[in-house]
Amino acid sequence: MKIKFVVLIAAFLAISLLLAGCASGLTASSWASVVADTQTAYLAGGSYVYAVNLANGTQVWRYPAKASANPFYAPPALTPDGQVIVGGFDHNLYSLNQQTGAQNWVFSLAHDRWYGGALVSGETIYAPNADYNLYALDLHGNLKWSFQADQSLWAAPVSDGQRIYFGTLGRKVYAVDASTGKQVWVQTVDGAVLGSPTLQSGGTLFVGTYAGSVVALDASTGRVRWSHPSSSSAWIWAGPALTDTALLAGDSTGLLYDLDPGTGTMRWHQTLNGAVIASPVSDGKSIVVGTEGGNLYYYDMTGSLVHTVSVSGNVYTTPVITGNIILVAPTGAPNVLVAYDQNGTQKWALPPAK
Amino acid sequence: MSWETIIVNPFTNVLLLIYHLIGGNFGVAIILFTILIRLITHPLMASQIKSSAKMTAFQSSKEWQDIQKKFKDDKEKLAQEQMKLYKDLGINPFASCLPTIIQIPIIFGLYQSIMRAMAASPGQLLILSRVVSPLLSTVFHINSAILVPLNSKFLWMNLGQPERLYLFGIGIPVLAIIVALTTYVQSKVTLPPSTGSNDQMGMTNNMMVITMPLMLGYFALTFASGLSVYFIAGNLVGIAQYALLGKVNWKALLPGAKPAPQKQAIARKSK
Repeated sequence: MKIKFVVLIAAFLAISLLLAGCASGLTASSWASVVADTQTAYLAGGSYVYAVNLANGTQVWRYPAKASANPFYAPPALTPDGQVIVGGFDHNLYSLNQQTGAQNWVFSLAHDRWYGGALVSGETIYAPNADYNLYALDLHGNLKWSFQADQSLWAAPVSDGQRIYFGTLGRKVYAVDASTGKQVWVQTVDGAVLGSPTLQSGGTLFVGTYAGSVVALDASTGRVRWSHPSSSSAWIWAGPALTDTALLAGDSTGLLYDLDPGTGTMRWHQTLNGAVIASPVSDGKSIVVGTEGGNLYYYDMTGSLVHTVSVSGNVYTTPVITGNIILVAPTGAPNVLVAYDQNGTQKWALPPAK
Repeated sequence: MSWETIIVNPFTNVLLLIYHLIGGNFGVAIILFTILIRLITHPLMASQIKSSAKMTAFQSSKEWQDIQKKFKDDKEKLAQEQMKLYKDLGINPFASCLPTIIQIPIIFGLYQSIMRAMAASPGQLLILSRVVSPLLSTVFHINSAILVPLNSKFLWMNLGQPERLYLFGIGIPVLAIIVALTTYVQSKVTLPPSTGSNDQMGMTNNMMVITMPLMLGYFALTFASGLSVYFIAGNLVGIAQYALLGKVNWKALLPGAKPAPQKQAIARKSK
């Protein structure tokens, strides 16, 4: 009898481990994301949030002290009063002191994980959660309002100061009033919106869709101005990037292209060595885009390749250009954060905390 | 050929096809997919039920009990006599285990495909995006870009997360309770209870009736609620399968119910 009981307990443990193994095998490892001010980079990656000195790549602080069982995922956001806002897989949204990494407050009313970064606009933090809600908090972490959308929110919203714009996995784009959280308009597009929208000062909102389209919407009404379809098998993960003259988008087939923001007409395109999962970035003089294939491409504004750098990992999150440095947080690489100069020469790299 | 290629990816695509055919309800798709898999594996289960019944009859037979008494101090001789009796009666002691062993990878594949199709995180969606078969678009004319990501909302649940029904601010694990309850009912009405102090199989069954509901209830409490939907559907279909084969003992649910008399007498294999 005792032996059978032990066998049953062992079977229970074995099945638990198998099921947990199945689940974790399918669960994404945390994709590290980075933001930066002029002196410090803030990286949410794996079990920690890091503050890194931009001059030499040394760690300034790390949070939490002990490795978190629920890895951070959401890209960090910085507030004007010196907070780092970062959401975790444990459903909590944390405020950390930008200088020391000490925890200021925790918002724990969300019911799901934080995948999208928060938007800080004025005195308000707009945080999208996978529980279908956009939460608006004051800078002390108190809830101002929440807006329930049709599906999960996986990316940071954008704002023109009056309204907040965001997309959902349910193929919807929403505009809500920034101060009240009331819906202004909602528009259905042809696929899930996984990345952040991009807002043009002229009042056009651009989104990339899982159906492979770049869609331009009238920001005041939500009306579709134009839609640029990609090839039938492609999907667009990240939001398009806007410069003074270009609207840049990348898709799962490795195509990077520039569209005329006014008409959606393609002006040039390049084929890269892997899927483009993260948005391209530009400082107005050059364009930098990373691929799942592990390359970082530098283009000039006409779409001519300047040089290519191998980052020995997958680029799933958008690189950051700050001063003369380009920061990349690769996945599956020996380093969690790597800094390159404009010539593609590595300046420093940060290994993961042990 | 990997496990993913043979089991998980085909299962995932069948699940996506069902999801599309029923108009985008993932909860119903899991239930239908469970029924489909149970129907496909029904011959295995029927064979297992038949073998188990034979084994139960064997355990309670006078012949076996006499042998047990006779050789109670000689384990080696007892084992020899047991094997001989198995042979004479045409019982394969592994016949009840084999169908179960075959079903285990299918059940794990089913679970993995449910988790994969749900794609509850960006990384999972990235993986799912790569395993959606081109057949869905070429043969079934399904636009996977519209199909994926799936709508994981079912009734009050997000199928990608552990379930709680919030009433007055208190999270009640309704599904975990239903999983435990249906597992108990299934175990109680389908597993033969102990018929005496020497009935080891019956004693194991009695233990299973208690531990299985607790175990699956714990899984339902901890893992994504899509798995709980699968457990409940599997339990109910399992009871229906036993009922179709006339092997359900509803009286076992009544308090103080005595073990049902063995209907199947063991017959010696004709030579």
